[in-house]
Parts: sequence; structure tokens; C-alpha cells
Amino acid sequence: MNKKKIRDLMGEVMSWLASSITIAACLGIIIYLFNMGHAQIDIGFLTNEPATTLETEKNGILTPLVGTLLLTFIGTLVAFPWALGTAIYLSEYAKRNNLTETFRLGIDVLSGVPTIVVAIFGLAVFSNPALGFLSSMVEGVQDVNRAFGRSFLVSGITMAVMILPFVIKTCEEALKSVPDTYREASLAMGASKWYTITKVILPTAKNGIITAVILGMGRIIGDTAIVWLTLGGTLRMTGVQPWWRPDNWLSTLKNTGSTLTSYIYFMSPAGEGHQNENAFGAAFVLIIIIILLNLLTDFFMGSKEIGK
Amino acid sequence: MVYSNSGSIIISVKELNAWYGEKKALSNINIDIKKNSITAFIGPSGCGKTTLLRCLNRMNDLVDGFRLTGDILLDGESILSKNRDVIELRRKVGMVFQQPNPFPKTIFENMALPVKENFGNVRREKLEEIIETNLKAASLYEEVEDRLDSSALRLSGGQQQRLCIARALTINPEVILFDEPCSALDPISTMKIEDMLMELKQKYTIVIVTHNLHQASRIADEVAMFYEGQIVEQASTDVFFSNPKTQLAQDYISSKFS
Repeated sequence: MNKKKIRDLMGEVMSWLASSITIAACLGIIIYLFNMGHAQIDIGFLTNEPATTLETEKNGILTPLVGTLLLTFIGTLVAFPWALGTAIYLSEYAKRNNLTETFRLGIDVLSGVPTIVVAIFGLAVFSNPALGFLSSMVEGVQDVNRAFGRSFLVSGITMAVMILPFVIKTCEEALKSVPDTYREASLAMGASKWYTITKVILPTAKNGIITAVILGMGRIIGDTAIVWLTLGGTLRMTGVQPWWRPDNWLSTLKNTGSTLTSYIYFMSPAGEGHQNENAFGAAFVLIIIIILLNLLTDFFMGSKEIGK
Repeated sequence: MVYSNSGSIIISVKELNAWYGEKKALSNINIDIKKNSITAFIGPSGCGKTTLLRCLNRMNDLVDGFRLTGDILLDGESILSKNRDVIELRRKVGMVFQQPNPFPKTIFENMALPVKENFGNVRREKLEEIIETNLKAASLYEEVEDRLDSSALRLSGGQQQRLCIARALTINPEVILFDEPCSALDPISTMKIEDMLMELKQKYTIVIVTHNLHQASRIADEVAMFYEGQIVEQASTDVFFSNPKTQLAQDYISSKFS
């Protein structure tokens, strides 16, 4: 074998090894979690609320699971219109100048900020007594007038800020991938710019935009730092009980709770729980949610053959 | 400018100069376009013919760094004045592009989109009537009547281009600009579109940019030849091809026809 062929072969083997290790690591984590966690998972685990260490029979992840879904819902609801509006501005209206470049730089910087920093910022802002209506007021402490700054609403809004740069970027990419010929065709037939955006560009970019939102959801589901600081450290819902009754929903949203990620932390030896098996059970449920989201993304990315 | 025949003038370009950034694209253009006729802009690549075409419905407004001096009159009114409504202008001056550009929607939706934007919510029967009439005018109706609800992207290139023409017709323009509409099409599709253009000029005024001198000689009433941003010769088609006055036009015609 000559030198070139050996180099070729080595390159192929190295890249094959690298990808094999990656796949092995991914599968390894999922298989390990399945092994450790699947025994926990039954109807009771999914429908019971977290209980104390002594009542192991009744221990479940209902409130953390609902907490994860609630936060994802609130975060997406706030972030999506906000991000889409910004992306439309950047892609369709903004001219190339220093102001726009500064704006873009700001978005890039925000996307690099660790979530714990976003979290502490959120806590500081929402502790302002004027924003107390989003959580609750601290009561019974003399000379203290501030909001508690921790609730599903506060945490959801903070999550929205956290995923905003990412969703803006991805939506902007989706809008930019719409060929200019569509814009020209629409404007040339006497359509206004807004009509062009809403009737031609957005429908064409729909799949890319949905993908952006789903990926943003994945980030909210996986985040722990923001939950830790702005949702508080209670496993159960702390609003008026029973928390699931519609007339108590507002109270539930304005009070604290947990998510799957914070539940895992509490149940792990690092937290206060020492209930490893429950932590793994919850981790397995979390992984399943993430896998489902990814399949959904593939579905929308795959149907890129728009309009056919 | 004196013309022997008596078509009234719909567009009048006066001393137009245009630049892309620092680069001059058009120099001192003067041309009148007659109503219900086909005017062809010909000349080598990069000579400014498409630039002038895109000035006529102000599509060049979308290009960063584009500016112009001079004036363009449509029905005697300037289209360049500050308070001119560009959207209303583009309703009167439609455009068909070089690459067929139907939207990734159904054939029906492609046709309905401009109607809804320009005439508001028309009744369904009225909408269907407009769509049928214009698909027929673009000689596409027979080929698509039983699949109006399938994607426009499934049509052949020639059919897509005829759909784009039909779409441009839905808003009743006075003038339709064609930017090399056949350059991406096969000869049979090209013939169909040329036949259609001959029909359409009964009702509309047509300005067409073409690389194809045969095409210009087949369909145009008037020809303007561009070279390096200037119009070097303009005449009726018969005169231009049988008796070109400038050396440039003679050379261009003989090189293309030999």
C-alpha cells in the first residue's frame, strides 16, 4: 500500500471511531437510564405527587411532570411571538447598518450567557415589589417590601428570555431560506409588504419556524438553573390546594413548584433525597420526552418539500 | 420622436440615468412605449435592459444602493415622484420573471392570492370566474382544470411560467413586463408563450426583455437595442431587422443570425 492509501484509510478509521464513540455514549446513557429507571415507572409513579422518604409506596412525579409541561408552555407562549416578531424585523425590514449589527451582536451575546446568570437576573427583576403580581409578596418580615420573585409565571418568562436568542436566530434562518423570487413575485403583483410576509413568506418558512419552537421547548425542558432560582425548591405545588382545580390555577401559577430536572436533583444524593431510583425513573421520563420532541423536529425538518 | 403608425403612448422614459452604488447602469435613456404593442429590449448581457425594465415598476427600489435621475411617465404621470403609491403602480404594471416563480401553494391559491390582496374578499363564484378567465387567457386552463388543488410546483417549467403570467393577469394590469420569460424553457413551451403574447397585446401593453433575436423578430412591434447602458437604436421591428442604421446593430444582428 502506498502512502496516500494509508492516509486515506487512517482518515476513514479515525472518523468512524469518533462517530462510533459518540453513538455508543448516547446509546449507553439511554440504556443505563432505562436499566436504572424503568422499574420505577408505572401508573402510580406518573400520577402520585412526590412524598416524603418514609412513604416510598406513594412517591410519584405528577407535580414535577406537570411543572415541566407548564413551564414549557408558558415559556413558549411568551417567547414565540416575541422571537418571531424580532426575526421578521431582522430578516425583512432591518437595513444593513451599525445599529442592526449592534442589535445582532446583542442577540449573540445573550445566547452565550449561562442560564444561571439569566436566572439570577430574573430573580432580581421579579423580586421588585411592582412585579409582585407575578409571584407573591413577602409577608411578615419587618421592613421588607419585596416580591418573592419565584413562581411558574416568573420562571416561564425567564425561560422565554433564555431561549429568545436561539429561537430568533433559528426563525431568522428559516425566513432567510425563503427564496427572494417569492418576495419579488408577491411585491410585483401589487401586494403590500405585510401581505407578502404573512401570506407568502411565513407559510413557506412554516416548517423551519415550527422546528425552531420545538428546539426551544427542548431547552426549557432541560434547564435546571432557572428552575432552581426562580421556581423555588418545593417539590409539590404551593398554591391553594387542590392545585389542579381550575379556580385555583391562577394561584398555582403564582406560586412555586418543581420540574423533572429539579426533582432529579432533589432525589439524587447531591440533593436531600437519597432516592436514587426515583431520580433515575424521572430521568428516564425526561429522556423519553426529549426523544419525542426530537422525532417531532425530524418530522417537520423532513417535510421540507414545501407545498408538495 | 416621430412614429409613422398611430399607437398612443402609455409609458414615456425621459433622460433616465441609473446607478448601482458607484457603477453606472443606464445613461440618458429616452424611449416611448406604445399602447397595445409588444416592445422588445435586446442587447448583450449586462447592457442595462433588465435594469430599465425593473425601473418601470420600481422593483429596483428593493436593491440596496440603487438610485436614478430623470423621469418615467405612466399615462402622463410620473411614477418616480415621492408621493406615488408603489403598490398601486405595481397593480398597473405587472411583471413576469425569468425563472418561473409560483408560490409553493396550490394552483388555485397562487391565482387567488393577488385577487384577494387587491380586490378584498370577493365571492367564491366571482373568484373562481376570475381564475378561470385568466388561466384560459394564459392557455393553461385545459391542462390544469381538474387539478387546481394540487401544488403549483408539480407543473412543468413551461406550465409554471404560464401560471405566473395568468397570475399577473388577475389584477388587470395595463402593462406587463416580461424579463426573459422563455430563457428557462424548451422550444415548445416557448412557442406557446409567444403565441399567447400575441393574443395578450390586444388587451395589454407588453414590454419584453429577450436575448433571443429570433423571438424579438417574431413577436415584437418595436425593438430597442441596448449597449453598455445606452439605447443605441430603436425602431419598428421590420425596419430594425431589414435596415439597421448603426454599425453596432448591424454587427449584433449578423452575429446572432449567422
